Amino acid sequence: MKKKLYWLILIISALTFLTGCQKKTDVSDSGDKAAVEQTEKFKIAFIYIGAPGDLGWTYEHYRGKQMIETKYGSKVETVHIEDVPEGPDASRVIRQYAQEGYNMIFTTSFGYMDPTVEVAAEFPEVYFEHCSGYKTADNLSTYFGKMYQPRYLSGLVAGSMTKSNIIGYVAAFPIPEVTRGINAFTIGVRKVNPDAVVKVIWTSTWYNPTQEREAAVALLDAGADIIAQHQDTTEPQKAAMERGKLSIGYDSDMGSFVGETVLTSPVWNWGAYYTRTVGEALEGTWKSESYWGGLKEGVVELAKMSPLVPADVVSLVETETAKIISGSWDVFDGPIKDQDGNILAAEGESIDAGKLLSQSFFVEGVDGKLK
Amino acid sequence: MIGLITSLLAITISAGTSLLYATIGEIYTERSGILNLGIEGMMLMGAVTSFAVSYYTNSLFLALLIAMVVTAFMALIHAFLTITMKANQVVSGLSITIFGTGLSSFLGKRLGPESNNFNLYGVNGKNFPDIQVPLVGDWPIFSAILNQDILTYIAYLIIPLAWFFMYKTKKGLNLRAVGENPRTAEAMGINVIRTRYIYTVIGGMFAGIGGAHLALAYTPGWNEHITGGRGWIVIALVIFAMWNPGKAILGTLLFGGINAIQFRLQAAGTDIPASLLNMLPYLVTVLALVLLTVYENYGKRKIGAPSALGKPYMKEDK
Amino acid sequence: MKFVFEKRKTQLKRLLFLIPFISFVGSLFLSGLLLLAFKTNPLMVYGAMFKGAFGNWFNFQETLVKAIPLMLAGCGVIIAFRMRFWNIGAEGQLVMGGIFAAWVSLFLIDFIPPWLVLPAAFTAALIGGGLWAGIPAILKAKLGVDETLTSLMLNYVAIIFCQYLYNVVWIDPNGYGFPGSKIFDKAAWLPRLTGRVHLGLIFALIIALVLWFMLKKTKWGFELKIIGESPMTAKYLGINIPKNIIIALFISGGISGIAGMGEVTGIAHRLTHGLDMGYGFTAIIIAWMSQLNPIAAIFVSILMSVLLVGGDQVQRTMGLPSAIGLLLQGMILFPLLAGALFSEYRVKSIKSIGEAVK
Repeated sequence: MKKKLYWLILIISALTFLTGCQKKTDVSDSGDKAAVEQTEKFKIAFIYIGAPGDLGWTYEHYRGKQMIETKYGSKVETVHIEDVPEGPDASRVIRQYAQEGYNMIFTTSFGYMDPTVEVAAEFPEVYFEHCSGYKTADNLSTYFGKMYQPRYLSGLVAGSMTKSNIIGYVAAFPIPEVTRGINAFTIGVRKVNPDAVVKVIWTSTWYNPTQEREAAVALLDAGADIIAQHQDTTEPQKAAMERGKLSIGYDSDMGSFVGETVLTSPVWNWGAYYTRTVGEALEGTWKSESYWGGLKEGVVELAKMSPLVPADVVSLVETETAKIISGSWDVFDGPIKDQDGNILAAEGESIDAGKLLSQSFFVEGVDGKLK
Repeated sequence: MIGLITSLLAITISAGTSLLYATIGEIYTERSGILNLGIEGMMLMGAVTSFAVSYYTNSLFLALLIAMVVTAFMALIHAFLTITMKANQVVSGLSITIFGTGLSSFLGKRLGPESNNFNLYGVNGKNFPDIQVPLVGDWPIFSAILNQDILTYIAYLIIPLAWFFMYKTKKGLNLRAVGENPRTAEAMGINVIRTRYIYTVIGGMFAGIGGAHLALAYTPGWNEHITGGRGWIVIALVIFAMWNPGKAILGTLLFGGINAIQFRLQAAGTDIPASLLNMLPYLVTVLALVLLTVYENYGKRKIGAPSALGKPYMKEDK
Repeated sequence: MKFVFEKRKTQLKRLLFLIPFISFVGSLFLSGLLLLAFKTNPLMVYGAMFKGAFGNWFNFQETLVKAIPLMLAGCGVIIAFRMRFWNIGAEGQLVMGGIFAAWVSLFLIDFIPPWLVLPAAFTAALIGGGLWAGIPAILKAKLGVDETLTSLMLNYVAIIFCQYLYNVVWIDPNGYGFPGSKIFDKAAWLPRLTGRVHLGLIFALIIALVLWFMLKKTKWGFELKIIGESPMTAKYLGINIPKNIIIALFISGGISGIAGMGEVTGIAHRLTHGLDMGYGFTAIIIAWMSQLNPIAAIFVSILMSVLLVGGDQVQRTMGLPSAIGLLLQGMILFPLLAGALFSEYRVKSIKSIGEAVK
């Protein structure tokens, strides 16, 4: 008797919930239908690891999305979802968009790689674009940028402006993309200032404003007078500013959020790639690829310099930018020595491809451990 | 060397202030016999509300006040459920934490200015500045202690006051009696129910100040990871302090700046795995609990948890 | 006249099931008020959540996927709570189970035949979670150390240890340095029933049934109940309390460990982030809401999963923070906790002593 009552309650509750919701879902259903009837819009979804409010990584992808809207206007419809953790939930969210008839899905964090591959295999007619990974398929492209180029340029600025000859670098994980950035930055620093060192602290997190700040303060206490970073928030820049010290941003033009103590920032400009790949998809010429654009393609760039940067440094950066864009020289062209003084590449040579990819070394001038 | 110690001490004190407030609050709550596992949720709510108020009103006092009111209200829910409704304290506390985590995250994305898509993250508000004590504040070591924000200075005062209140006043004695043996306390004429309500709410307010210190002083601004699990460390620190507010300072100094210390060791080229250091507070707490219990069992001396901690109090229970 | 609460001799069955239901409605109502304060129609929100969780076959599958670890960890917690052992370490036990299962799938796999891999991973997860719960159990049984705090602290030790493994020790050598172990061999993939719903669902259902039977019908279940309700009686009846605590907790942690195995071998196929998603804490709410009944826990787990999966849907379709799911989850127990007073106690009016004398 008691059991029956229990089941009764359960069923009734389920029914009330069902019927209660039915009415409401009708409303949104009709909304959906209206959208479909309107046109055959090309529907694009973005999966974000954070929120555009981070003013860093996700903000830049958000800006890229806006550029798609600006360029293609009513031909496209874009949506995004924020704060999707890189765990079991990512696969569900990606698949839901695919099922709802989205034509193109951008997954904008490395940890979405396996879920994207998984879902892409099930929806061959949907275009997938995964940022920063290394697995492709017929309907799955990867895309990333040569961030090391603007990092090198920002290194020139930092090297010219440090007084203590110690530059702090708050870094997330010792992965190739991060070490490549540290190496390129340090090559830039040492080019203009052979006495300066770049001190590295690993935070073991991409996004934890509190820890990023603590790491920056530790570097300032260790004598650094400029803080560079490879994180996803502006906290290291704020920490430096509060101590009256300078900094180099990353991801987005952090100077516009924090102030002129941010000398410059190597920034992403995803719009350059997004508008291209969406255009190709619209015309039907889209092909799977592993895109790795640089300064030349415009997908990475150096943000506007702070007024604190002297004119001669600005013009040096301009010359070096032109050199890289022309293709006559790139950052990892020799001569390059590693941390212990061993020669990695002699004059006129370049570092061998394997090492360049794995970045299993630190160049001379880096004060830190690769682990 | 002195320079390194000074800077380490400075960051540890600054990082430890929020822990200190919440720990002292929780010590008082637990001393009355109520375990509050909702600290993490309360600190998050304290952080988000104080930051929002400071952003819109520019009044730090008001920000602090609202944070305290909000967390006091959360503590009141816990008190009502566990004291009046005699609900399980562990389950109620966990609910408060999950609720606080969800609500703070929700508010953080709704209370912001429209220009920032209603997001509180990424906007700057007013925060407590560091105040340097003239002259002495320049000396090594002293500059670490006397170059802090106002909440930290108040914390310096609160430690001895909290100790004095608990051990040297009649009210403190009553509080301890309620946590040790509520039945006897009631017989002595102490209102057990009222005492527990009062100290649970006070504990909540302290957790609110702790959260506000994070958002208005230590890492100014709001983000969902702002507490970084500090609410749980607080539970550990209470044990580490052996439920004595005077000793709360030791634990906060040891563990408050554990991240900051780890980053400094890295900067100095020392190589201790970060994960090992991060595990330390939790491992040491387990060890401390074991030692305390063993010591009590064999030494027959009461130093550990209040005897009635976690147990609902029933007036006419048989 | 004066009112006092008197503990009921037997729990009122009618209230036993009515109260969780009222609680659920109550939390929807309370959250609704909050949503209204932000000029949002709560009915729209709940509708979106419902659609996200049950709207189509795929969404329903995903709701089940999310419910699997909740069901298992919930059952694990129930065993411990039955004897009023406040094991709040299910999160850590789940993570440890995942680690042990990953160890089998990464290393032991080279030494055993493929058909043995999954049984071995299952056993390893059981042992991993069991041992992790065994620590507070032994400390409590042998030394009398408070289990609430030790089991809570051990959560974080397990989580940090797990991060250390996939960030440093077991990191995939071909993974370009990104966090995460290498992907397991196919032999270590837990078979999927449909979509992403893996065999863990069957484990959960069987475990819940067996557990329900054990708790209800066996001497062991009876002993646990007695230990919980009255340790003195248990002692009088000659029940070995320390032994029972240790065995029960090993099983409790072991079941949570299997939840970890399901996540690692059934979903991620590698050890990486996403194991410490808070399932162990939600499990405590589930255990409480289902009034420590394993069968009820299956349904409550699905309900909790609806809140979590639905939270994402709310963000996708309405642009509201997905934290709404967490908010509802935290709120759901408040009415229940308050209501429990009436199912466990009854209000009795007595004449105060003074009046009686007169």
